[in-house]
Amino acid sequence: MSGAVLDKVSRRKAADSPWAVETHGLTKRFGESVAVNSVDLRVPRGCAFGYLGPNGAGKTTLIRVLLGLTRADAGTMSLLGYAVPRHRDLALARVGAIVDEPRFHGHLTGRQNLQILAAAREPAARGRIESALDRVGLSHRADDRVTKYSMGMRQRLGVAACLLGDPQLLILDEPMNGLDPAGMHDMREMIQSFVAEGRTVVLSSHLLDEVERTCDAVAIVDRGKVIRQGPITELLAGTSIEVEIDCSTPEAANTLLAGSSHGQVTVTEQGLAIALAAGRIAMPSPRSIESS
Amino acid sequence: MTTPPDTPVQSSEHNFESDVRPGDRRGSPIPTYAMIATRFMELRKRRGLMIALIMVFIGIPTIFLTIRLLAHAFDPHSYGPAGGSSVFGTTVVILFSFGFIVAATLGCTAGAVDLTEGVFRHLVVTGRSRVALYLARIPAGLAIIVPLVAVGFTIVCAVCVFAAPTKLSFDGTNVPIGLSKTGFVSWAESHPDQVVCDFPYNFNGSLNLNVPCGPNGHIIKVTTSRGFTPRPAPSKAQLDAAAGKIAEQNYKEYSQTFLTPSLSLMVEAGLWIELEAALGFVVGLGLASLMGQRTVPVVLMILLEVILTPLLTRVQIPHLIDGQRALVGLAMSHIEPSALPAVSGIHGGQNGVSLLTESTTVAVVVIVGWVVVWTALGVWRMATRDA
Repeated sequence: MSGAVLDKVSRRKAADSPWAVETHGLTKRFGESVAVNSVDLRVPRGCAFGYLGPNGAGKTTLIRVLLGLTRADAGTMSLLGYAVPRHRDLALARVGAIVDEPRFHGHLTGRQNLQILAAAREPAARGRIESALDRVGLSHRADDRVTKYSMGMRQRLGVAACLLGDPQLLILDEPMNGLDPAGMHDMREMIQSFVAEGRTVVLSSHLLDEVERTCDAVAIVDRGKVIRQGPITELLAGTSIEVEIDCSTPEAANTLLAGSSHGQVTVTEQGLAIALAAGRIAMPSPRSIESS
Repeated sequence: MTTPPDTPVQSSEHNFESDVRPGDRRGSPIPTYAMIATRFMELRKRRGLMIALIMVFIGIPTIFLTIRLLAHAFDPHSYGPAGGSSVFGTTVVILFSFGFIVAATLGCTAGAVDLTEGVFRHLVVTGRSRVALYLARIPAGLAIIVPLVAVGFTIVCAVCVFAAPTKLSFDGTNVPIGLSKTGFVSWAESHPDQVVCDFPYNFNGSLNLNVPCGPNGHIIKVTTSRGFTPRPAPSKAQLDAAAGKIAEQNYKEYSQTFLTPSLSLMVEAGLWIELEAALGFVVGLGLASLMGQRTVPVVLMILLEVILTPLLTRVQIPHLIDGQRALVGLAMSHIEPSALPAVSGIHGGQNGVSLLTESTTVAVVVIVGWVVVWTALGVWRMATRDA
């Protein structure tokens, strides 16, 4: 099969993929330290997806790996259905991203910085500069040097840079950093408007509240590993929280809890594993088990 | 808040462009015109750097020549003409050496600023080939350097031609410039005293004028031939004829001594300076891209040009001679225009100073090698670097 035919096939497959981002066993190490630890991630198309975790959890590293800014040590990944890094150029054609804080050439104006980035994209990107500036509310300051911009204005210019490629997927790394409450509100509204247009937004943050307000689904990451992911409503309801309880007579404890409404109980070698029912935060009292 | 769908959701409110549009050769290593143009803009807008470039390529020769013009205009007896071949050689040296350094500074800036200013990752995220991102900087930088060198060099040429001296001091005698052989002989016959007394000649004894000379090339009195037998002074016709013969003998040297640089020399010297500046830019670009910063590469380039090259082109170090021959400065010295005077002093040219020998072919290979190797290193580092 010729290269052109292969390209067509891969594009058709990409369009059929239900996932904006998909990773399997993605791993990135820095020496002994594992920054991204065998991450399996699925981000559905057309939603706001939060990537939540504390500072140093590996959020930015995962984004850098996804975008080809650094190489993965193991695993596979795809963006918009395109395998990366093999079809990186095709994938990134419709991806916009802010990684870390957005930085620009300070001696140039906002518009000139966008011209540089648009030139690296397809010819049509140049025609999107004005609309992107308008969309983020920077048209009136577009001819000022970036050195005169506030942090919030730089964040907005970063979003404008993302829009140059008419992206189906936006990856925003801590976009609320350095923003005042009004700026955070504006950013939140902007993200929601992108989702309303059918774009997918991946938002990394260490702020649970922010993710809860903005996102439809979330993955929680700790020390490089995704520990939970799913629709945010389900995660907040806690359906999949599992509690393990050590006890000397698991069978007896299971019999005792059989008629209760604490959740699904499984007997293990050490004791019991209890999956809490949706919305329940109360756990069975160990004392009640002991007394039986 | 909505629950994320399990299947793809494509909004009907926004029609996305197809993934790759016509004209979008994103994976191609060839940079687009727009990439080159915007990179040119980014460099051109660096005010401090542009001032330094303009100062070196245009300002220094202009100031130097203006001072010489004014000095000669106000006091022509103390200060020689502003133009001429020697001034041409001096200003070419300035443009050659300082041009390399400032061009290298521009190259180092172009090679490092995207990294140091955090823009590199924005560019990589576009999906554009990193090779294309690198290569776009070369024509953009050259589009700044080449015209600046051309303007500065044109000013030098103009002054050196139009303000050149109108008389040539040839072996102590002022001779009009640009004379043909007939004209030179004719002039000699009309100034026999100066020619006979001041011009060198060797006729193996066949010409025995017996005309002792005084100050300023004037014959002062008739004396004896070989100090023994008094002989009459030569007649005017004899002196004129002798002067003509002497002039014929000296014409070759006269014709090779020029006051205004010839057109071919100016073209060759201009191209030579352009090549040196372009080399400085390309090497600086590759080095800065390799190191990921600007300051250290600039310092290294200055060391190369000011210290290493002059030293290593003059000293023969056993077992290291081939390595010395790989110096781009030595190679550039060997392709220096042969008629260019005065370059030897600073950079190690062909005139006056003994350089390591090197064939022109080797020199060309070394120059091409430097361009290719540094570009390859810069591209490789850019393609493999974490953004």
